[in-house]
Amino acid sequence: MRIKRLSRKDYLNVVEAIFFIDFLKGLSVTLRNLFRKPITTEYPKEKLTPPKRFRGAHGHFVWDGTEPDSLKAIEKFMSYERGKSRCVACYMCQTACPMPTLFRIEAVQMPDGRKKVVRFDMNLLNCLFCGLCVDACPVGCLTMTDLYELAGYSRRDEVLKMDRLEAHAVDFKNRRGNEPDRIWPNDKEREKLWGKIEWSG
Amino acid sequence: MNEFLVSLLITLIKIGVLLGVALGLGAYLTWFERKLAGHIQARLGPTVVGPFGLLQPLADGLKLMTKESIIPKGADVPVYYLAIMMAVAPAILLFSVIPFGPEFTLFGYQIKPIISDVNIALLVVFAMGSLAVYGTIFSGWASNSKYAFIGSLRKAAVIIAYEVVLGFSVLGVILIAGTMSTIGIVEAQIERGVWFIFYQPVAFILFLFCMLAESGRVPFDIQEAEAELVTGYNVEYGGMRFGALPLAEWYLNVMALSAIAVVLFFGGWSGPNILGPFSPYFWFLAKMFGLVFFVIWLHWTLPRFQAKDVTEIAWKIMLPLALVNVLVTAVVVYFFGGGT
Repeated sequence: MRIKRLSRKDYLNVVEAIFFIDFLKGLSVTLRNLFRKPITTEYPKEKLTPPKRFRGAHGHFVWDGTEPDSLKAIEKFMSYERGKSRCVACYMCQTACPMPTLFRIEAVQMPDGRKKVVRFDMNLLNCLFCGLCVDACPVGCLTMTDLYELAGYSRRDEVLKMDRLEAHAVDFKNRRGNEPDRIWPNDKEREKLWGKIEWSG
Repeated sequence: MNEFLVSLLITLIKIGVLLGVALGLGAYLTWFERKLAGHIQARLGPTVVGPFGLLQPLADGLKLMTKESIIPKGADVPVYYLAIMMAVAPAILLFSVIPFGPEFTLFGYQIKPIISDVNIALLVVFAMGSLAVYGTIFSGWASNSKYAFIGSLRKAAVIIAYEVVLGFSVLGVILIAGTMSTIGIVEAQIERGVWFIFYQPVAFILFLFCMLAESGRVPFDIQEAEAELVTGYNVEYGGMRFGALPLAEWYLNVMALSAIAVVLFFGGWSGPNILGPFSPYFWFLAKMFGLVFFVIWLHWTLPRFQAKDVTEIAWKIMLPLALVNVLVTAVVVYFFGGGT
């Protein structure tokens, strides 16, 4: 491969070089940008709301009567409580996970023969927020919320236990539950990026 | 004796005012530059300390003063400290020959708003500009660090090259005005009613470039070259000692050289009378800060020249141009008259 050598003539003629046209072009660019509105989000004061399908901290949807009818079938096998996680401890999330050891799931058999999930820990320090566990969940329990401020003071703080997972999902459902499930906040935003989509069906 | 004391007092007051204004404005230029740079890059710049971040320079100063300052091992301590003064003093001394306005009478005393009205003012400017190189060289040499030393050598090369061009570019103006006194040059422009930039556009551009090079501004900031030299000759300094070097070079020097450019090419304090007795000062400061703004604007626009290019441009392009400019001006002045 030969390197093509450019002399100054090839991109600036003499008049342009004398009057510093390239300087002036650059200066006009910076001047235009000078009067543009800054795009900074002043973080602790202003916080962006991520799209609903943002992959933030995990949550467990709870058994609160809003689940689809198909799930009602498993109610008699599981020792569910209202307002508690609807996890069935199937380990599908752990199986799907690229880093399976971050899950610690335990379930016990209750005296009446039903199954109760007693432990569902997620160590977010190992999590890469890929969302495979969410896709794998057969009962639509595990979800990801729009919480992204996940810093803590100790490693122990970064382990999500059942109660925090439930709280996340309840909070998420209250805040964002009614929004349509899509990446963009509204159709206008989507069309800005992708143009109008002609639906086929 | 009494007259001497009064003139001494007046000079001291002038020095005090000038020092306060120059250093204060120099500090606030840091705020201005950060704001400007931020907005050019679609950021906000300092916003947290005070309204619009206006107290940021004070916070910075406080931070710099309370910082531990470490002297590197093997440093030449006296020279290490001397270098700071050698860098700051010429930058401040540049202000001593800048006339901010016309002569006025206060309580029966004639007062000139210039610290020393000498008839070789421009020579003082060149002398101080060349002296500034010692601060850089000493700081680089005394810190016993390769980055600092390379930075100071580069700066020395740049200053030596551009000081020559600076001298020759100003010669044209001196020829037309027929004097080296800064007040004389301004008065020559007011007399003619024409700013010298219209007589000497080439000289102005050369002067502008030399100004950028002398004050270590983009595109001639190879001695800073953050990416390759950390920050150049002041890398081994800490605390306020570190703060003083960029303050002198980037802010005081730019302000002083802008003021001299205003005197030489933009008619000094001349301008329509809009603020009564304060209008000359207003015009002078407006022109000066217009130039400072331009320099900072340029700083955040252009990339940096290669180290070899910077001196090459000075010796091979700008110096011949300056010489031709001087020659043509001299011929024109000889035949069509000019200086008194």
